[in-house]
Amino acid sequence: MRAAALWLVALVIFGVIASGCIGGEEAKTSSAEVQLTGDITKDLVEIGKVLEQNGVKEVKFSAWGSGDPNSVMRVYGIVEAARRINKIWADNGINVKIVVTETHYVASFQDAYKEYLSKQPLGQAGDFFVNSYAFLPTLADEGYILDITEYAKTYQSVVDDFYPSLIEASKYNGKLYGLPQDTEARPLYIRKDVAQRIGFDLSGLDEKVKNGEFTWSDVYYWAKKAKEEGAAEWGLIHRKGSAHPDLIQFIFAFGGKLYDPNTGKLVVDVPAVYKWLYVEWKFARDGLLPEDIMSWDWAKQIHPAVVEGRTLFDIGGTWYWTEWQTKQYYAKGGTPRGLKPEEVRDWFYYTLFPAGEKGDKPVTLSQPFVWMINSKAGQLNPKYDELKDVYHKLAFLMLIKASDPDINAIHSVISAHLPVRKEAAKLIKDEKWLNDLKALNLDLSDEVKSNIRDIVQATVNPINAQFLADVSYMLEYTHLAPAHPKYPALADIFKEAVDKVLRGEMTPEEAVNYIIQKVQADPELAQNVEIQGEIPKDWKFPQG
Amino acid sequence: MTKGKLRDLSFFLSPMVLMVFLFYLVPLVMTIYISMTRMRNWNVDRYLTEFVGLYNYERLFHMFQHDPTFKAVVMTTLVFVGITLVINVFGGLALALATFFINERPASSYRLLWLLPRMSPIAVYSLVWYYFFHGSEIGTLNSILMSLGLISEPIPWGQVTPWGAWSVIIFVNGLVGVSFGMIVFTSALNQIPKELVIAARVDGASSWQISRRILIPMIKWHLLYVLTWQFLSLLTTYPHLFLLVQWDLVNRDYGTTLALYVFNTAFGMGEQDQGLAAAAAVILSIIGILGGFVTLKVLKFEKMMKKPRGDF
Repeated sequence: MRAAALWLVALVIFGVIASGCIGGEEAKTSSAEVQLTGDITKDLVEIGKVLEQNGVKEVKFSAWGSGDPNSVMRVYGIVEAARRINKIWADNGINVKIVVTETHYVASFQDAYKEYLSKQPLGQAGDFFVNSYAFLPTLADEGYILDITEYAKTYQSVVDDFYPSLIEASKYNGKLYGLPQDTEARPLYIRKDVAQRIGFDLSGLDEKVKNGEFTWSDVYYWAKKAKEEGAAEWGLIHRKGSAHPDLIQFIFAFGGKLYDPNTGKLVVDVPAVYKWLYVEWKFARDGLLPEDIMSWDWAKQIHPAVVEGRTLFDIGGTWYWTEWQTKQYYAKGGTPRGLKPEEVRDWFYYTLFPAGEKGDKPVTLSQPFVWMINSKAGQLNPKYDELKDVYHKLAFLMLIKASDPDINAIHSVISAHLPVRKEAAKLIKDEKWLNDLKALNLDLSDEVKSNIRDIVQATVNPINAQFLADVSYMLEYTHLAPAHPKYPALADIFKEAVDKVLRGEMTPEEAVNYIIQKVQADPELAQNVEIQGEIPKDWKFPQG
Repeated sequence: MTKGKLRDLSFFLSPMVLMVFLFYLVPLVMTIYISMTRMRNWNVDRYLTEFVGLYNYERLFHMFQHDPTFKAVVMTTLVFVGITLVINVFGGLALALATFFINERPASSYRLLWLLPRMSPIAVYSLVWYYFFHGSEIGTLNSILMSLGLISEPIPWGQVTPWGAWSVIIFVNGLVGVSFGMIVFTSALNQIPKELVIAARVDGASSWQISRRILIPMIKWHLLYVLTWQFLSLLTTYPHLFLLVQWDLVNRDYGTTLALYVFNTAFGMGEQDQGLAAAAAVILSIIGILGGFVTLKVLKFEKMMKKPRGDF
C-alpha cells in the first residue's frame, strides 16, 4: 500500500515536471517591442500582430467609472473603443479581440475612488478608471496609475485638441497621468419668473457679470428683494457636501488663491476665505440662504426648491440642466415629474459665478473627470510579465480611441457636461449629427446603444445642445482646484467652517481662526499649507 | 497537572487557541506594527517597511492638544459609551423582566419586535432614522410635531450640539443594542426554577419584589457579562454613526466617536492614513482593555470563576 502511494506521488511529480518541459516550447515569447508612431491604425496593427504572435487571442480589460445616471459613457466609451479597435484588427486580418469584462459604474465618485484605492494594491481594481482629477495626484504619487507622458508625445496632435487647462489637470509633477474625459462649469442659475416679479432685468446680465460689474453685493441685493417682496422663499440655494469644488469658487471670485506654485504648497488665503465666509454668514443671517443647507437632502429639498422656483439664485452645475429633465424633482402639480426642455429653457437664466467685489473677476470652477490607466492594466491577461509594455500601450490607445470626438460629444450632449476636445465641441453644434444621435443612427455597438437609448430619448434635443454651446465660453473663466494630495483634507476643513458660519455657530472671524487651527493641528497638513494674509479690517458687505 | 491531563487539555483547547492567535493576537500585533509605519493609501509594498517609531502617536497627541474638534470626539466617546451602555444593559433587563411576567405568546411577539432593529440591514435601519430625525419639515418627527402644533419651525435635532447630536446617536444605537441584553437576560431568567417565583407569589410578593429580591440577584453574572460585552462593543462600534454623520444628519464633531475617527482616518476621503488610524486603534484597544479589566474587577468577576461549592 505504502509502495503504491509512493509510486503515485512520484508519477504526479514527474507529470508536473514533464508538462512544464512540454509547455516550455510554447511559452517562448516573440518580440514584445512595439514603438508607438502616432498613427493609430498602424500602432494597433503592430500591437495586434505582437499579441497574435504570442498566442494571445483575447485581451481582457475592465472599466470602472462613476457619476450620475446620464454619464454612463464614462465606461461605455471604453466599450466602444474596444469595438472600434476590434474592427481595425478584423479589417487587417488580425485574430485578436479585446473584451471589456466589466463595466463597474457607481453613483458616488468618492466611493469609487475609495474602492479603487483599497483594491488596486491587491490587483483587483479596474484597468481603466475614470474619476475626478482631484484624486489623480494621490493615485500617481502611490504609483497606482500609469504615467503616459511618453506615449502621449507620439499622439501630440490628439493631445493638442484637448483644452490645455484640462490637460494640465491631468498632470502631476509635470507628468501626464490620464486624458480628460469630461468637464463642466458651475453657472449661477437665476429663476426668470422670480426675477420678473421683483423687476430684476436680466437682459445683458451675462455681459455685466463678465465685466465684473455685477458682483456678489448685487446678488445679495436682489436675493434680499426677492425674499422681502415674497417672490421667493429663499434668495440663494447652493450645493452641499465638501466645499470642493462648488463653494471654493468664492475664493477665486474674491481674487484669492489656493496654491502657491513657487513652494508647491496649498494656501489658505485669509482675506479671500474671510470674505467668502462673510458672504455665507450674511446670507444665512438675513434668511436668504438656509442656515442648514449643508444637511439638506438633494432629491427632497435642494433640487425641488430650485425647480419649483422657491429661490431666485442657485449655484449649480451644467449637468443640472439635463438632471432636472430626467429626475422627478418637480412636484408642484402633485405627481413628481421631470421638467420639459422648454421649461428649463424658459425658467432659467444662467451666467458665470460673479466677481466677489468690484475689481475682481467672474469665475467658474471645473472638476474634470479623467480617464486613468491602472499601473497594473492588463495583468489578468496571458504572458503579462513579458507583454506588459504591449498591454499598457494598448490600454493607452484604447483611451485615445475612447476620446474620439463623437464619443466625447455623445457624452456631453446626454449628460450636459462640457466637451473636452475642440473637435467634439464642433460636433455638438452640428444639427445633422444631433438628429442622427437622436435616432441612434451612429456607428456604435449594440451594447452601447441599448445602454444609452433611454437617456438619449430624454436628453437629445436642440435646446440642450444650445445650452451646452452657450455655456462653453465659461471654460475660459474656469479655475481648477490644486492637484495636491492634501487638498481634499483642506477642502473638508473649509466645508466644516462654512457649515459653522451658516448655522451661526461661529462668526466669519472665528471660522477663519478655526480653519487655521485645524490646519496647524495636523503636523502633516501644516507642512503642506501656507497661511497667507490677514483678516481685512473694516471690510463691508454688501458694498455699493 | 499530570502529563495526560495537559495533553487532553491541549487537544480540546488547541482549536480555540489557534483561533485566538490567528484572529486576535496576530491582528493586534499587526496593528501595533502598522502604527509604527508610514502606511497610507493601502500601499503595502511601499510603506510597510518604512518604520517611523512613535511618530504617529506623537502626531495623534499633537492633534489631541491642538485640534478644536478632538475634544468633541473624546467627549462624544465618553457620553455615547456611558449612556448607551446604561440603556442597553438596563433596557435589556427591563424588557426581559417585563416579558417574564406575561404569557409566553405575547412575550415572544414583543421580544421579536425589539429584535427587528438588529435584523434590519444597517443602511436601511439608519435611513429610517435619517428621515425620522431629519432637521427639516421632511423629517417625520418634525412633521408630526408641526402638524400637532407643538412646534412652528422644524428642529434640526442632530445638529443641536452637543445634546441633540448625542441624543440621536444614543437613541439609534440604543435601540439596536437593547435586544442583546434582552435575549441573554430572558434566557437566564428562564433557567431560574419556577418554584421560587411561585413560592414568592404565594407569599404575596409583588412583581417588583420578585424581580429585586429573587430574579436580579440570580442573574448577576449575566448582568456582568452583558455589561462588559456591551462596553467593549460600544467602544468599537461605528457603522450607524458613520452613516448618520456621512448623511449630515448629526453634527460631525459631536457624532464622531474615537472608533469612527479610526475608521474615517483609515478608510476616509482623500488620503487614507492607516498608520495614524492604527495608532488611534491601539489607544482605543488600550482603553478597552483597561475599561474591561476595571469593570471585571469592580464587579468581582473572579468570584464567578471559582469552582462551585457543590451545595447549589
